[in-house]
Amino acid sequence: MFEENLSKSKILLVEDEENLAIGLEYNLSEEGYYVKVAKDGREAIKIFEKEEFDLILLDLMLPYLNGFEVAEKIREITPQIPILVLTAKKSTEDKIQGLELGVDDYMTKPFHLGELLLRIKGMLKRKMWYKTLTASSPVYILGQNEINFENMICKTKNGEIQLTKNEAMVLRYLIDNEGRVVDRKELLENVWHLNPEIETRTVDNFISRLRKYLEPDPSNPIYIKSIRGAGYIFTT
Amino acid sequence: MRKKHTLLNHIIIFVLAQIAWLMLMGIWIYWYVSNYIIFEKVGDQLSPQIVYDGTNVFAFVGGLVLLVAIAFGMSLTFRHLNVQLKLTRLYDNFIGNITHELKSPLSSIQLYLETFNTRYVPPYKQKEFIELMMKDSQRLKNLIDSILEISALEQKRVSHDYQVHNAGELMREIIADSVEQYQLQPNILILEGEADCKCVADINALRIVFNNLVDNAIKYSAHELQIFIKLHCNAKKVVVEFSDKGIGISVPDQKNIFNKFQRIYNKDIPNVKGTGLGLYWVKEIIKNHGGLISVSSEGRNKGTTFRIELPIYSVSKKRYTKYLLKITNKRKLETEY
Repeated sequence: MFEENLSKSKILLVEDEENLAIGLEYNLSEEGYYVKVAKDGREAIKIFEKEEFDLILLDLMLPYLNGFEVAEKIREITPQIPILVLTAKKSTEDKIQGLELGVDDYMTKPFHLGELLLRIKGMLKRKMWYKTLTASSPVYILGQNEINFENMICKTKNGEIQLTKNEAMVLRYLIDNEGRVVDRKELLENVWHLNPEIETRTVDNFISRLRKYLEPDPSNPIYIKSIRGAGYIFTT
Repeated sequence: MRKKHTLLNHIIIFVLAQIAWLMLMGIWIYWYVSNYIIFEKVGDQLSPQIVYDGTNVFAFVGGLVLLVAIAFGMSLTFRHLNVQLKLTRLYDNFIGNITHELKSPLSSIQLYLETFNTRYVPPYKQKEFIELMMKDSQRLKNLIDSILEISALEQKRVSHDYQVHNAGELMREIIADSVEQYQLQPNILILEGEADCKCVADINALRIVFNNLVDNAIKYSAHELQIFIKLHCNAKKVVVEFSDKGIGISVPDQKNIFNKFQRIYNKDIPNVKGTGLGLYWVKEIIKNHGGLISVSSEGRNKGTTFRIELPIYSVSKKRYTKYLLKITNKRKLETEY
C-alpha cells in the first residue's frame, strides 16, 4: 500500500569509497529513489541540514567525522529518520555502539545487493507505518505521562524527554500489543529487524530506559513488566 | 581496555618482583654485616678455627653481582614484553585496517557483478562499471603485492636489480612515471635542481618509494595539492627533498611515522584509509640502498618534507654498494645458467 510513495523516497548515501558510492547510487536510483551522495562526515551533516531525507545509508569509517558521530548529530536534528549502517566493521562492540546511538540496521561489507535493497524497502515501509499510525493517534496518555509519537517528546512528571526513534518504536510496539507477552527476539525482529541471535541485551537497555522515563518507580514497574523467561508485557 | 589492564598487571608484577629481591638483598646484607660484627668481636674467643676469610667476601660480592644480573634480566624482559604488547596493539590496528582495505574493493566488485546479474545495464554504463571493477581489482592486487613484498623484503628474499645510475636522470625518470601513474597536472609537481652524480639503485624499488610519497601527498593534502622536489648532490650523498603543502605531521608523530603498522589518527586528516605499511616499506627500501630517510614538518597545515639521502657511487659506503652490485650480478648469473 505504501509502494508508490516509497519509490519517491529520498536517501542520503554517506560513503567515501567513490567506486562503491557510484554503484550504490546507480542501483538506488534504478529502484526509483532520489539519492544524494556525501563523501565524508562533514559533508553529510551539511547536506542533511539543508535537505529532508527519508533514510540514511551510512558508512562508519569516514573522513573528518566517523559514522557514529554522524548518526549522533543526525539523531539530534531528526530523531525519527531511519539509519542503515553499511560498513566493513563487524565487531559486536561496533554493532552495539551503533544500536545504542539509534542506528536502525547494520550490514557488513561485502553485502548482497538484493538483501540491501530489501532492507531499505523494509525500513522505509516501517517509517511509513509509523508515520501513518502516529498521524491517526499521535498522543498517548500513560498515567501521568503524555507521549507524542510524532515529535517523540515524552512529557513526564520530571519534565520533557526526547525519545530516540528506537525507544519510541519499542514503546509503540508494546502499546500496540497491550496485554500480550512480547519476547526480546520479537522486539529485535520487529523494531530493529535484526537477527535475534545478535544481542538481546540491547532490548533490555531500551526497556530499562523507558521504565526510567515512564514508571513512577522504575524498580517496581507497573506499565512495562518483565515476565521471567518470556519477555515483557505492557499493561495500563 | 583489557590490554590496558594487562599492561597494568605487568607493571604491578614487575614492581612487586623488584621490591621482593631488594628486600631479600637488604635482609642478606643485614645478616652478613651483623654476623661479621659478631665474628669480629667474639669469633676468636669462641673458636680459634672460625676466622673471617676471603671466601665469604667472594660469596657476598658474587651474590650481589648475581642479584644485579637478575634485576637487569628482569628489566630487559619487561622492556621486551612492553615492546611486544605495543606491537600486538599495532598489529590489531593493522588487521582492522587491512580488513577494511580488502573489503571495500571486494564489496564494490560484488556490487557491480550483482547489478549486471539482476538488472539491465545500458552499454555506456556497462563500460563505466567494468572500468571501476578493473580499478578495484588492481587496488586489491596492489595491496596483496605490497604485503607479500614487504614480507619478502624483511626476509631478504627480494631479488633486487641494483645498477649504477646517473642520479639526476634516474630520479627524473622515476618521478615522471609517478606523475603519469597518478595523472598529476603539470603544475602540481615541481622538480628543481640537478644531481649530476652516480648512485647504485634498484629503479623498481625506488618507483615504490616515490609512488608511496606521491600517494601520501595526495591523501593528506586537504585543500590544494602541490608537490616540490629538490635534487642535489653534496660531497658524499645524493639528496632528494620531497615536500608537500598538506596537513603536516606533528613532532611526536614524526618519530613513529616510519614504524611498521603505524598510522596517525587525527580528526583533521581527510583520508582515514591505509594499512600503516607504506612509509615502513619506503624506509626499508632506502635502508637497503645504504641510504637514509627523514621527515620534517613545521606543524599542522604547514606541509611535510621527506629527505632521502643515497650514497654516491665509489665515494660513500663503497663496500656496501659494491656488495649490492655483486649480489645483483650473482643472481643474474644464477638465472642465466
